[in-house]
Amino acid sequence: MFDQDFVAILPEIFLINASIILLMYGVFCRSRFIIRNIAWLGLLSIIVTLLLHVNNVCTTANLFYNNLILDNFTFYCKMFLLLSTASVILMCLDYFKQENVYAFESIILILFSTCSMLLMISAYDLITMYLAIELQSLCFYVIAASQRNSEFSTEAGLKYFLLGAFSSGILLFGCSLLYGFTGVTNYEELAKIMLSFSSSNTPGMLAVAILFIAVGFLFKITAVPFHMWAPDVYEGSPTYVTAFFSIAPKIAILANMLRIFVFSLYDPTWQQLFFFSSAASMIVGALAAMSQNKIKRLLAYSSIGHIGYICIGFCCGTLEGIASLLIALFIYICMTINVFAAILSLRKNTFKYIGDLGGLSRTNPVLAITLAITMFSYAGIPPLAGFCSKFYLFFAALGSGLGLLAFIGVVTSVISCFYYIRFVKIMYFDTAWILFEPMDREKSLILGITLLLILFFFLYPSPLFLITHQMALRLCF
Amino acid sequence: MEFAPIGLYLIVSLILSLILVSVSFLFASSASYPEKLSAYECGFDPFDDARSRFDIRFYLVSILFIIFDLEVTFLFPWAVSLSKIGLFGFWSMIIFLLILTIGFIYEWKKGALDWE
Repeated sequence: MFDQDFVAILPEIFLINASIILLMYGVFCRSRFIIRNIAWLGLLSIIVTLLLHVNNVCTTANLFYNNLILDNFTFYCKMFLLLSTASVILMCLDYFKQENVYAFESIILILFSTCSMLLMISAYDLITMYLAIELQSLCFYVIAASQRNSEFSTEAGLKYFLLGAFSSGILLFGCSLLYGFTGVTNYEELAKIMLSFSSSNTPGMLAVAILFIAVGFLFKITAVPFHMWAPDVYEGSPTYVTAFFSIAPKIAILANMLRIFVFSLYDPTWQQLFFFSSAASMIVGALAAMSQNKIKRLLAYSSIGHIGYICIGFCCGTLEGIASLLIALFIYICMTINVFAAILSLRKNTFKYIGDLGGLSRTNPVLAITLAITMFSYAGIPPLAGFCSKFYLFFAALGSGLGLLAFIGVVTSVISCFYYIRFVKIMYFDTAWILFEPMDREKSLILGITLLLILFFFLYPSPLFLITHQMALRLCF
Repeated sequence: MEFAPIGLYLIVSLILSLILVSVSFLFASSASYPEKLSAYECGFDPFDDARSRFDIRFYLVSILFIIFDLEVTFLFPWAVSLSKIGLFGFWSMIIFLLILTIGFIYEWKKGALDWE
């Protein structure tokens, strides 16, 4: 019945089967130290999934009665998602050994949530979208609270669960309103129905439905009026979980948002909403991060700010806007992988405060310069990758007449330089002298690769531009 | 419309049980004093307060019940329409059951079902 379809989703099928087999392996082999073994095998299955995905014979298709879609856009997003998941698994290998984490289930849950994010990227129906989001969120709630003996982790899990469930409820209400007023759930059908309204006469209730869906999604990507949970959850969860939270779901949810808002519900209603949310995210991200002393909290606010920058691309609604959004997303992910690999390698008891970085330039000069470069890139100092991403975003904003947003972006980017450069100041001019243990080979590899990408992106940016342009083209037409 | 007799039945049984309770209230003698109202702990006074640790196993059993209860709700329509959905429908449900069984095996090996 679905013969071709099963071939087309072979990567997902493989990943689910692999995680189930790993679950059985982990539970039957009753060793406490199985987690590292499982993590390596999980990494292997992610890589095999990536190979299956890249070499998939079926690249453009609508599957399972239009419930899933495969095209250029999903192809690159999935590739990027799998790569970032692989790097997260690589960077947490050492963490398990040093922090005495024995719960191998967290790796299995990472694999399951990766699978659900793959489905989320290619979701082409409101129901598929919602189910994929829920599967991902359920896995996340569990791994956020996975460190049972830490009160912070439990609190983070609880907060994440309550607010995540609330946002899912809002999203679901928006979906049901949309279904109630149009009678369809498929993205393509929705797009056809939305086309029949010109920009001014969208029925009011449809606008309410779009509003609810947008709010649900903004909750999930921690955009500003709905960002309350992010700092607590990021700080409370174990560090490798924080790394996973701030890297992988951003790709999947933004891909899905692009699909639904740019393709199906193209309408000026949400543009104003994203305009407000983007401006507010940039401002809050810049101002709130200044008074933070804890590193993970600061990174949470920094990611809120970056989501604000990324949302600029949304507000444009043009081809350039979407392409620059994708560029910014990819570069943001790259930088975040780098920062979290660095933070996971700075381990001496508990590394919590920024002040603990003092004297790093003398105890570990290479790591200090890596972190400094990444921070400069976060701040948007030319000629690093972060500068290019912000530059193209502001360029796109100016091109579509959003001068105010570009202005706010530039100003907040200057303000946020303050706390990014504070890292550098602490590392190079302060003396706290905490000696950290040397990092393992995997993390140093990740750090090296991402640092090279950040440093030398400006020399040869055309592949990423071509890819993102292709993705944006696929989405808009 | 076939729910009307059930509703009627519910109301009648409610009234009947209320009558049964109230009759004993009407005719029984009820003189209460502190000794009679104290908690029954095999004749002794209570040794400590009633706050005790709650056993996690009750939660585990109830969560398992919820999961397998949901499984049954999925099985009902499948069982009724099995003649129409053919082999494809059959194998789809088998895959669903397999995934649930994997979860069950996981619980079993983890010892969530041991009551020791």
